[in-house]
Amino acid sequence: MSRPIDLALGLLDHQVVDCEGRRCGKVDDLELAGVRDGRPVVAELLVGRRRTVHVPWDAVAKVDSAVHLKVRAAELRLGRGDDRVRPWFARLPLS
Amino acid sequence: MGDLVFNAAAGAVFGYQLLWVVVVGVVGIITYSEMCGRVAAVSKRAVFDAVRERLGYKVGLVALVAAQIVNLMTLAAEVGGVAVVLRLLSGLPYRALIVLGVVVLVLVIWALPFEYLERIFGYVGLCLIVFAVAAVKLNPDWGAVARGFVPSAETGDLLLYCYFAVGLLGAAMTPYEVYFYSSGAVEEGWTPSDLRTNKANAIIGYGLGGFLSFALMISAGALLLPHGITPDFLGTVALMAQSPLGEIGLFLALIGMLFAVGGAALDVAFSGAYSLAQFFGWEWGKYRQPTGAPRFTLTWLVLFGLAGLVILTGVDPILVTEFSVIFSAVALPLTYVPILLVANDRAYMGSYANGKLGNVFGVVYLFVILVIAVAAVPLLLLTNLGQG
Repeated sequence: MSRPIDLALGLLDHQVVDCEGRRCGKVDDLELAGVRDGRPVVAELLVGRRRTVHVPWDAVAKVDSAVHLKVRAAELRLGRGDDRVRPWFARLPLS
Repeated sequence: MGDLVFNAAAGAVFGYQLLWVVVVGVVGIITYSEMCGRVAAVSKRAVFDAVRERLGYKVGLVALVAAQIVNLMTLAAEVGGVAVVLRLLSGLPYRALIVLGVVVLVLVIWALPFEYLERIFGYVGLCLIVFAVAAVKLNPDWGAVARGFVPSAETGDLLLYCYFAVGLLGAAMTPYEVYFYSSGAVEEGWTPSDLRTNKANAIIGYGLGGFLSFALMISAGALLLPHGITPDFLGTVALMAQSPLGEIGLFLALIGMLFAVGGAALDVAFSGAYSLAQFFGWEWGKYRQPTGAPRFTLTWLVLFGLAGLVILTGVDPILVTEFSVIFSAVALPLTYVPILLVANDRAYMGSYANGKLGNVFGVVYLFVILVIAVAAVPLLLLTNLGQG
């Protein structure tokens, strides 16, 4: 993953999608590792504004209109908000 | 509700003079929807994905809050409309029908797959075509109707004329329609090969809406204006079909209104849930089971509950409709501008970015939207809520 990306327009505020296609947050902030060849290098994506999850750059498979992860949301403790509400509906018919 | 209320009221007060505004509004919503559909097909982003990316979290949050307030007002208006029509059909107490209406809508949306909902509300809502038959039967002065398509204002009350013009534009271009439309396009996995369908959908769908708007305004101009009646009640709108067509006309008008307004309630509630989910990155989708998109489902349920409570306070649904339309005109630039930016951005859109013609329309409508956004609230106050 050394292809340059415009961090402000091409990464920040993008949808995060796990390896099974589940939407699990937005890229709320970035943690930079430093500057290489005059370009900032991303170390982590910060997802969630409260209870922020740190997603290591190694977990990112590709970036297009969304940030696609190599792993499932649960492995990184992403998507907990949806997980918390799901049981409320699970017992209802036709859910 | 916005279209029913503003078209009938504009016809009752100004006859056919404001027909041209409906044309401007319909071309506007076609332009805007086509752009949103194209952005969805090419870049896989729904409206509030684009809003969040382009405006960032803080400014985007302002757009989100504004959209949610307008959505809630609009949903309250639709829920109130459903209850009013149910009362006209059944004669049962209004408040009980508000609760019944909300409960039935929620249960139906919960239980039926979206494909069925779309067809039931869409096809039965087509009963509204009865207003086109009524318009013809009322034998309007077709020369005057034709002159209505040319902008002119023969009135002593220019402010009221402008208020109705803004209301008609706001009702024709309500933003929830494009949130819903673009989210559907993303969910159905549109690609650039669907762009012809996108264009056809926008033109036919909103064109039909425009046709019904003409019918309502012409009926009101032919029937209500000569009698000096203003449609302060939804029942008056239905009477426009009864007068020339009898009981069957009244019945078709009420059934058409019930399903069109009920369908709009569904669209508005989902639009609110789409915006919130897309802004915060939650799972969403109208084809998903409730457990597949839990917070999305929770959002539309809560919105229905809140809208029901607003209407249970006893506020007049017609008044809520007018407010919702005027405030949606105010909030329109907050979603239109980011979409215009994205639709122009070749990094997102490649060769599918707006062409010259698209940009001419885009910029002209940007101007229209900015003018009505600025003028909406002053006109609301100056005309004393359109009472003149």
